[in-house]
Amino acid sequence: MDAFQHRRWIIILTMLIVTLVFGVRLLYIQVLNNDWKNRAEQITHHKVTIHPARGLLYDRNGELLVAVNQVYDILVTPKDVKDIDTAQLCSLFGISKTEFLQKIEYASTGYNVSYKASTFIESMSKEEYSRVVPYLNSFNGFDSKRRTNRGYPSGIAAHVLGYVRKISAEQYSKDQKVGEKYYNQNDYVGITGLEKVYEKELRGERGSAFFLRDYAGNDKTNLEENYAISGQNLYTSIDINLQAYGERLMKNKLGSIVAIEPSTGEILSLISAPSFDPNKLSGREFSENYKELLNNDTLKPIINRPIYNANYRPGSIFKLVQALIAMQEGVIMQSTGFACNKSLINCHNHEHPLNVQIAIKHSCNPYFYQVYKRLIQRGEQSSIFKDSRLGIEKWNAAVKSFGLGVKLNTDIPGVKAGRIPDANYYDNEFPSKSNPYGKYRWAFSTIYSNSIGEGEIGVSPLQMANLAAIIANRGYYYTPHLVKKIGKDGSKRPEYLKKNYTMAAAKYFGPVINAMEMVVENGTARNAQVDSIIVCGKTGTVQNETFNDHSVFIAFAPKENPQIAIAVYVEYGTWGGIWAAKIASLMIEKYLAKELSENGKNKEKQVLDAIILDKHSDFK
Amino acid sequence: MENRTKNIIGKVDVPLLVLFLALVIAGLLTVYSASYSEESPQIYSLDKAYGKQLVWIIISLLIGVLILTLEGSFIRNSAYIVYGVVTIMLLIVLFMPAIKGAHSWFKIGGFTIQPSEFAKFATSLAIAHFLSTTGVKIQETKTKLIVFFLIAVPGFFILQQPDPGTLLVFFSFIFVMYREGLSGNILLGMFFALIIGVMAIFFKASEANVNIFSWVFEANYLYLFVIVLASVLIHFGITYLVMPRYRGKKYITNIIGASMALLLVFSCNYAYDNVFKDRHRDRFEVMFGLKLDRKGVGYNSYQALSAIGSGGSAGKGYFKGTLSNDKYKHVPEQSTDFIFCSWAEEWGFLGSFLLIILYTAFLIRIIMVAERQKSKFTRIFGYCAASILFFHYMINIAMVIGLAPVIGIPLPFFSKGGSAILGFSIMIFIFLRMDSERKDVLR
Repeated sequence: MDAFQHRRWIIILTMLIVTLVFGVRLLYIQVLNNDWKNRAEQITHHKVTIHPARGLLYDRNGELLVAVNQVYDILVTPKDVKDIDTAQLCSLFGISKTEFLQKIEYASTGYNVSYKASTFIESMSKEEYSRVVPYLNSFNGFDSKRRTNRGYPSGIAAHVLGYVRKISAEQYSKDQKVGEKYYNQNDYVGITGLEKVYEKELRGERGSAFFLRDYAGNDKTNLEENYAISGQNLYTSIDINLQAYGERLMKNKLGSIVAIEPSTGEILSLISAPSFDPNKLSGREFSENYKELLNNDTLKPIINRPIYNANYRPGSIFKLVQALIAMQEGVIMQSTGFACNKSLINCHNHEHPLNVQIAIKHSCNPYFYQVYKRLIQRGEQSSIFKDSRLGIEKWNAAVKSFGLGVKLNTDIPGVKAGRIPDANYYDNEFPSKSNPYGKYRWAFSTIYSNSIGEGEIGVSPLQMANLAAIIANRGYYYTPHLVKKIGKDGSKRPEYLKKNYTMAAAKYFGPVINAMEMVVENGTARNAQVDSIIVCGKTGTVQNETFNDHSVFIAFAPKENPQIAIAVYVEYGTWGGIWAAKIASLMIEKYLAKELSENGKNKEKQVLDAIILDKHSDFK
Repeated sequence: MENRTKNIIGKVDVPLLVLFLALVIAGLLTVYSASYSEESPQIYSLDKAYGKQLVWIIISLLIGVLILTLEGSFIRNSAYIVYGVVTIMLLIVLFMPAIKGAHSWFKIGGFTIQPSEFAKFATSLAIAHFLSTTGVKIQETKTKLIVFFLIAVPGFFILQQPDPGTLLVFFSFIFVMYREGLSGNILLGMFFALIIGVMAIFFKASEANVNIFSWVFEANYLYLFVIVLASVLIHFGITYLVMPRYRGKKYITNIIGASMALLLVFSCNYAYDNVFKDRHRDRFEVMFGLKLDRKGVGYNSYQALSAIGSGGSAGKGYFKGTLSNDKYKHVPEQSTDFIFCSWAEEWGFLGSFLLIILYTAFLIRIIMVAERQKSKFTRIFGYCAASILFFHYMINIAMVIGLAPVIGIPLPFFSKGGSAILGFSIMIFIFLRMDSERKDVLR
């Protein structure tokens, strides 16, 4: 026993106090407060996005139109770039010092941050990559990533397919604000063409995986995985051979070809000339190539003419529609004849237009002047102004039933309606919005140019091809479309399975079709004859104030059970019977007979040799 | 002989032995989980930390049993010899090749031996022997000086390694001295000095400014003023209200006390600016929460707290940790200084609370056993063991849970390290042996 033995209690108390403090602190950080749990999760959890493979595109016979290439992106993490031989790096990648600095700057600003990897060089091919990869390890902060890229084995149909690009800042923020909030900042999206329209089907569904990572950032344990769903393949209606052939024929020309299978509305080929190789818009040189296509080429190859150029006047081809409507409305009969009175409107010398068939065959202008007059001024009102208003409304509705002046709900972005004028148009918009004719200030005599497809009518090549399909079908059409099947066992969009009937009954089509046969046989389109196939066609010449007239031709073939309906526009190609008819017949022959006849081969040579316009042509 | 061994084992303090074994086994299991490697999954894999730890524990227990067979008097009489041998080892180790920048280890085959771990029980033996010598009075300055000398010699060598963490542990002997009669004022004074010093560094590190009547000055100047004011008030409070009979007598003491406090604050400020290196300053800033630097100096602390916090109330389960083990390695030194993280992550608050309770019970049991001794030697040695273990426990856990700056001190029985487990085991077994013969011997 000693005097200081009570001091044990002080020491024990000290120990208990320390343990109490520890206990409270542990209770706080382990139970009461969640901060450290969240921080731990930030340290250990790593979310990885699994990108599904984007769907491929095939032609109607299963040939690959859009394939996938393996490419390699070089990534840089600016924070880790240390002690590197910049000169060696620049020469390895073939860039200048300035470009190098710009790329590093780019990788550290905007939504790129310096401690995360960003793209340094995009889409290197396997060959380029294998040259670079042995040296990559010697540069701190540089890494590579394998990725897939769009590839176009045949290099055709650029306008149909569209292209894929990293999502733009605007599109991204739009998706975040009003969209479905699907995209991440580095995602690729379809920008135009089928890639855009079928974006949702093609992209698939993104998957994700949660990993536990170690201190060095290596993923060690897979906690959870949501598999990605691959994008669906698109089986398009394009015939790869016909498309390629059409593009070849349109070399050195400006214009459009649209070919449709009348019995389904499937677009066999959609050609906009001049075209370009879609591979140009896939990969590293995108920006330069795009700028070149957009700005530096006066012929504007980026425009998809068949759907975008809806201000072409249809010319004489429109007489087909006028004849059909007039017969349906009962203002003429099949056997109605008019005198070819050149004092009404100019014409050329031809046999007397005894009936509709002959009038169409010779494309008689005065005949259709008088037909149109009967359509517009029916004598239902005593005032010709009031009468014309009634007439034009009826006429407008009938024409629109042919898919003209309306937006065809096709699966190509940027479709235009064109224009079929109505009363309102002449009241308020023509000749200008600031100084229109005004109500009851116009009548047939003001608008008679419409009778022969001139005047204020505007249609697109797609609508013209559809018109050919309507006549081939004797009165109805399926909305033209480009995708036959979504996914291998899928179907097309339901709206493309519906027949759209025109206001003209099937019985009125017979004389028109016969006339079209005669046009090719011994009329204005003899150039469109194909051995062994009966082609029905109609030429058109669109007057053009600034340069040569546009050459237009529509046709379908064969006459019985038509397989193909086509519209060909050769801009500045002068008279419709020449280039447009030749090209259309070659397309028909190629599609139906596969091999060209002797005649066809000669024609082909003429067409291929013809340089209607090239880049250096001096035109406005 | 057999009879005698049986006799000794029968007299060993069972609660203390059980607590000791519980800590050792829990420690081994934690090392196993913290440094587990899929290539060598067996706990006895000798090329892995846990295999080595197991071997060291077996060696420690064998040596422990051997110690139990020794005569108590033999141990007492060998105290200075053991102290001398270990001190010489501490000298020699300074000439060994450096491992991780310190001359702390002898390398023998695949094993390393760290003599500073043995210095803990060796110094305890020497102090116990000296203070229990007849006629030695702790109140005498000579006694204090000799004790200081006994601590300072090994302490000096350890500082030369350098191993300041272990040196810090030698300050724990102040508790022993206090128990044996050292004036409580010294302990209290040290406690106040610690509080004042820590606060001084806090004000200095925070670089806070105080604005009084548009007179802007640094907060630590205000702190000085508060200290002076406080000492004056305490002085008058004590002299006039509490203990009027001391009036006048304690004037000098109080003035000295206040002056020393001021001196301490000035020294801390001076040391902070001129002695500390940036890394020290950073550690203090992180500890005071002035800085949550998760990438730089604060990294260890941040990772450790994340691991502990992620354990939640019930933990993730044994072997299910995701931060403090060899697979993920988010917590550095997860099997040595930061091993508590591994335990706390896998067993949660229930486990970590149980562990600190177990530890405290172990320490209190040592003190209780020490207090029942007739032998002053055994009692003092027991207090030495309790104080050293308490210091380790206090500083290690405080560091890991962010209450103290990061100081490299292991958690006894848990942290991987053969010399440590051997040293602590020898200490506990000597104490158990001495206790077992408490009824046979008088001193």
